[in-house]
Amino acid sequence: MGNSLKLIIGFLLLSSTLWGQDIPAKPNGYLLDQAGLLQANEAQQLEQKLRGYADSTSTQFAIVLVPTTGDTDPYDYAMAIGKSWGVGQKDKNNGVVILVSMDNRKIRIVTGRGIEDVLPDAICKRIINRILKPYFKRGDYYNGLDAATTEMMQRASGQFQSDGSDEPSGIPVFVIVFLVIVLINIIRAIKNKGGGSGPGSRGGGMFFPPIFLGGGGYDRGGSSGGGGFDFGGFGGGDFGGGGAGGDF
Amino acid sequence: MNKKIWIVLGVIALVIFWGVGARNSMATSDQEVKASWANVQSAYQRRADLIPNLVKTVQGVANFEKSTLTAVIEARASATQMKLDAKDLSPENMQKYQAAQSSLGGALSRLMVVAENYPQLKATENFSELQAQLEGTENRIKEERDRFNDSVKGYNSLIVTFPNSLIASFSGFTEKGFFQAEAGSEKAPEVNFDEKK
Repeated sequence: MGNSLKLIIGFLLLSSTLWGQDIPAKPNGYLLDQAGLLQANEAQQLEQKLRGYADSTSTQFAIVLVPTTGDTDPYDYAMAIGKSWGVGQKDKNNGVVILVSMDNRKIRIVTGRGIEDVLPDAICKRIINRILKPYFKRGDYYNGLDAATTEMMQRASGQFQSDGSDEPSGIPVFVIVFLVIVLINIIRAIKNKGGGSGPGSRGGGMFFPPIFLGGGGYDRGGSSGGGGFDFGGFGGGDFGGGGAGGDF
Repeated sequence: MNKKIWIVLGVIALVIFWGVGARNSMATSDQEVKASWANVQSAYQRRADLIPNLVKTVQGVANFEKSTLTAVIEARASATQMKLDAKDLSPENMQKYQAAQSSLGGALSRLMVVAENYPQLKATENFSELQAQLEGTENRIKEERDRFNDSVKGYNSLIVTFPNSLIASFSGFTEKGFFQAEAGSEKAPEVNFDEKK
């Protein structure tokens, strides 16, 4: 028993050192442009596109543009990002990481375990060869990434839906549940007031299940500001080695 | 008198509880190993399934060096013949399995090296995508092997440490083998198709 605990701790330590290989810290959004390849408005458009797609389908794309991956192989680097950030949903593993490293001019796509079927390795390779490479060679990073993500999104569409999938597109289920809970709380509070000090008169009835906090991006309060405020966060998706790489 | 009996009974009960708990956690760990073994096998199977396609593509190229092709075909045949059930993951069996698979890996990487000499082959999109698929399966194999090794390490250290080892030997849990880092004798796939220029 104690052993398994030790193992877990050991594993955590090990994995943190593995992931510690100088990958960037988890950003507050789906796009991280450390290499400065995109204009501000381009970055914003791309971010919004990825965010919109993640919100409506739950499939998460992370685009990471770095000046260098150091000594780390681009594949390992992209995998480390995917796993440690947790790109994609935990139960669906529908994350994709697109990594561009400038010093060695490498592109690397890694696909989550759950999305390998719709984005098989050969298709990733084709997207690199036919879309990313030609654009990147011209220095047109934005349009390359835009076209590539459009292609991938089309392929992945219909495969996954966001958690509110059984709603015809209106208010997600958990919002309704949330409202119902709030309503119950209000009614209870009113009742308590009427009946003097009931059991647990204050706060005791307030029940905000923490599950909803992890649910990924439910607070899309419109496109206000543009700050990372409505970034739902990555969902904890897992990666099994799928994807493809190439040079440009 | 009576008191002593109760104490003895109590100790026995505690030991039984502990034993049942230990046995259960071993069984759970055993299941995890089996599940990750299934993933390892399907990753290897995926590679084996790719080969006919690869062979067909390469054969299409005029005067492609035959010997490397036949080496791949033979290695594939012996690797797919070597089935290892999750029940028999002893260190010896694991070693044999790994040897069969890594000779296929070696044959494949030699094939890819040879393919570099055929520009007309390299230029085709079909080949480039096959290469990407092969690279992807190698990555998946590595990934699944790592996970498998992790689960075996957990299992092994659970059953060999002292008090647990008694329970393990009663209930027939034996040590399992894991994947070794490629041994020197096996020519490790040096070219890991990994975006080498």
